[in-house]
Amino acid sequence: MMPKPLFFVTVLLFTASFAKGQNAPVAEQTEQIKDLLARVEQLEKQVAELKANQAASATLTPRTADMPVNPPAHAEPYARKPEQVHEHETQITQEAARQLETHYPSLQTRGFADADFSSTDQKGADSGFNLGQFDLHLASALSQKISYFAEITVNAHPENYTIEMERSFIRYDYNDYFKISFGRFHTPIGYWNTTFHHGAWLQTTIDRPFMVKVGGTFTPLHFVGVLAEGNIPSRGLGLGYNVGIGNGRGALIARPGDAGDVNNNRAWVAKLFARPAKAYGLELGGSFYRDKISLSAGPEFREWIASGYLTWTKGAPEFLAEFDNVNHRNIATNAVANSNAAYVQFAYKLPWLEKTLKPYYRFEYTHMPLSEQVFTYQPQVESIFGLRYDISSFAAFKSEYRYSASHPAQGGHPAMPAVNGLFFQTAFTF
Amino acid sequence: MRSLLKRRRILVVLALFWLLSIHDRSSAQSAHETDIAVVVNDDTPVVDLSLAEVRRVFLGERQYWNAKLPVVLLIRAPVARERDVVLRVIYQMTEAQFKQYWVAKIFRAEVTGPPKIVYSNDLQYELVSAMPGAIAFVDSRNIHPGVKVVRVDGMLPGDKNYPLR
Repeated sequence: MMPKPLFFVTVLLFTASFAKGQNAPVAEQTEQIKDLLARVEQLEKQVAELKANQAASATLTPRTADMPVNPPAHAEPYARKPEQVHEHETQITQEAARQLETHYPSLQTRGFADADFSSTDQKGADSGFNLGQFDLHLASALSQKISYFAEITVNAHPENYTIEMERSFIRYDYNDYFKISFGRFHTPIGYWNTTFHHGAWLQTTIDRPFMVKVGGTFTPLHFVGVLAEGNIPSRGLGLGYNVGIGNGRGALIARPGDAGDVNNNRAWVAKLFARPAKAYGLELGGSFYRDKISLSAGPEFREWIASGYLTWTKGAPEFLAEFDNVNHRNIATNAVANSNAAYVQFAYKLPWLEKTLKPYYRFEYTHMPLSEQVFTYQPQVESIFGLRYDISSFAAFKSEYRYSASHPAQGGHPAMPAVNGLFFQTAFTF
Repeated sequence: MRSLLKRRRILVVLALFWLLSIHDRSSAQSAHETDIAVVVNDDTPVVDLSLAEVRRVFLGERQYWNAKLPVVLLIRAPVARERDVVLRVIYQMTEAQFKQYWVAKIFRAEVTGPPKIVYSNDLQYELVSAMPGAIAFVDSRNIHPGVKVVRVDGMLPGDKNYPLR
């Protein structure tokens, strides 16, 4: 039987020791476990590599007359000299290095797809499910400095599917400051068009803003020609540029001149952006686009597009804001029209459930004057409230409520009544 | 008298256990604060980078050391401490965000592939010393010959305010 004082001291010591253990941060213990696991994994891998190499060298080594037919299983390790061990290690390294080496061409494919449901109170619109874009992306290094990229979409329509070559270009890298590409690109105007492309999973919201809507006309989404890009030596400012010259808009202004320039007049685009080192996650930029539009109906216009954006995409809050001004001047009459579109989008990753929930809000504003002759007249404002849930690292559910109405300046426009809608989407990459 | 001695012995043993348990934890903690060194191939023309520059390199925004020498990014597989430090300090991302970042980067045609994944430190050393332009993060307690340790913000591992730990 333990005496009382001794019993108390024992309990005290155990309690103190236990309490100390409880106070140690859980994260620290997890770190320790991680380290041990890493060490075990590393050792296991080395043992497996050694075994595999040993087996391979045993089968590959030609048998000589003076070699024992069945050497004892454990004889070889003792018999091996240090230089032989080193040779084996070198072989392992060489094998691993060979596996990590880039082979040319090295084709990488990735796909994006989404399935959607929509329901609105718009007259004549049916609610229901629809298949989003099936998007296939190819990236292939042809040599250390030459790469090819392509993006192909399959789009569902009421009567059939259409296949669209969204991007297809070859790029030659000279260094970080100069890379030149030839082919079909997403026009580097603003932010959205060259950041999310057609990958619905990449964007927080279900749909793109009006200014870059798929099949839309507000800005030319595609550009066929040559594009130079790179960094600009600027220390911590993180400046970069895109400069391109190409065919510009086609006779159908939603399309670029894939098969040739419709008016023998090249369009050009220039973009300058900054990703300051001291504000990791911040990007701001501006771009200009110049073109001559020759509509199939006859009139010709000079087009100037000026665009600016500011984004913050690091951390829990997300902020995107973009503004485009499109200036059209009728070459025959000199009549000028300025249309503009803007959006502001906020999102916030909630701290719970491993930050998988992200509520968001987007406000869009599109203004078109009555004098606009190139675009179909559709001024509007839109508000979107939504919630994104990342069910895994590569798949998400999104739900949205949208309210859109005609531009306040037009008052209650009878052709464009206010519309309320509910939208759902599951988007993923594979 | 004998029982008193016995009690003292027991007390000493228990106290010793307690002290050892505390010492174990504190030494484990100090091991976790080991600095992570940035190492490059000997031929890579770089000796000192700011933390922001290291970030630009590992974000794939700087892809060439010079016109003839592309950057080859090496990163340890998940669970390794070096990777944890890189994700926390350099990328400031979770494992999922890191994967998503490279999916988006390749999709935007800014790079053709993600960093190369390496499964052991020894292999990492061998690769850095064998591949021109290679850059990697290693445990600073065990620097092998044949690689060059890069100063980060003018500091080497072990310096007071070294950022990668």
